[in-house]
Amino acid sequence: MNTNSNVYTIVYTTVVCVLVAAILAFVSQSLKPMQVANEKAETISQILAAAQFEEQADNNAILNFYKQNISEAILVNADGKKVGSLNTADAQVYSTADLKAQNYNIKDGSACSLPVYIFKNGISVIPVYGAGLWGPVWGYVALDGLNIVGAYFDHSGETPGLGGKIKDDPKFRAQFDGKKLDFSDTHPFDIVKGGAPAGKANAIDAISGATMTSKGLNEAINVWALAYRNYLKNQED
Amino acid sequence: MGKFKETVLNPILKGNPITVLILGICSSLAVTVELKGALVMALSVTVVTGVSSLICSLIRKTIPNRARIIIQLVVVAMMVILVDQFLKGFAYAIDKQLSVYIGLIITNCIVMGRIEAFALGNKPLPSLLDGLANGLGYGLILVIVAFFRELFGSGTLFGIPVLSAIGYTNNGLMILPPMALILLGCIVWVHRSIDKDLQEK
Repeated sequence: MNTNSNVYTIVYTTVVCVLVAAILAFVSQSLKPMQVANEKAETISQILAAAQFEEQADNNAILNFYKQNISEAILVNADGKKVGSLNTADAQVYSTADLKAQNYNIKDGSACSLPVYIFKNGISVIPVYGAGLWGPVWGYVALDGLNIVGAYFDHSGETPGLGGKIKDDPKFRAQFDGKKLDFSDTHPFDIVKGGAPAGKANAIDAISGATMTSKGLNEAINVWALAYRNYLKNQED
Repeated sequence: MGKFKETVLNPILKGNPITVLILGICSSLAVTVELKGALVMALSVTVVTGVSSLICSLIRKTIPNRARIIIQLVVVAMMVILVDQFLKGFAYAIDKQLSVYIGLIITNCIVMGRIEAFALGNKPLPSLLDGLANGLGYGLILVIVAFFRELFGSGTLFGIPVLSAIGYTNNGLMILPPMALILLGCIVWVHRSIDKDLQEK
């Protein structure tokens, strides 16, 4: 058979492409439920990590722990009014895709419904979402009133060892502990390149070698903190 | 049996894809900041190179010559996506760790290079071995570079403090890509001075 004829080449290439597409579609579809469950468990484990709960062993343990310790998960708008709630018995949470959609709403000023995860020990966890250097960065900030008690961040493609430290460096995350959001300041929170001024309660050090990631995370925290401003203020009063 | 031994050992030592063929330089600069990432990357590349070579070798007699690069690309891309999908389903934590690396495997010159140079002209079993061995040869260099970069750049090994525990000040240059290239150059230098056959006249 002449494997160099035009017809053979076109038919062969088409068949291979269709076959590979079919294999990939089949594998993707059959693994989808597991992947979705993994993603949800990961989101919940990040919320728990921000609130300083101990790490859970596997997906089931994460879901059970969350269901036992969550008091309520409400949705608020930019005015601080409650506009809905998430089903805690089902461990319903906002995925990063949901956060991305809300990020657009916040930025163009349209109606948003932002989640607040309130735990039985009184800690509330709010998400933040923004752009890092190579892709989105997001995370969760655990608050007691306006005091920050913990934080956890993640990213989709920051450079490991540099921007990736927002997730991997426990020292970076530990800086948030004991800080607070200060809405009387121009920025409620600051990640300062070159080091935060000593004694400033709403600022931490940026990561050296990761200026753009630090800036992006700083913006994410500030944009989202301002969106929650009215809600947090109402809670204070 | 001697031929098999050569197929396996050659890519690791005398025909190392990085230090001798100078392939896969790009990713070896990008993923060697930390040992852990380098190890997982080495493993993934080994699997992808091995299985892609096997598949291409199996269908080598039917591939139309003019479209062979595209067919190879389709096979490699499929393998990489499959690895990614399975990791996402069964080993989510590892997949998160690899993040961008997995996609980078498609662009790794070694994978396509070995299919083009070896798998298309050899039987399936030697092709599989050749692919796996090239992945290992690549991985060996990756781990050596990552060892020095993590040790002197962050003072740690596998995230455990080693030099930083005894008061070492981290060298920021080590974690930037240019230092990886310099280190790679040093490894090529050492390799060539040990193995005189590699020196150009």
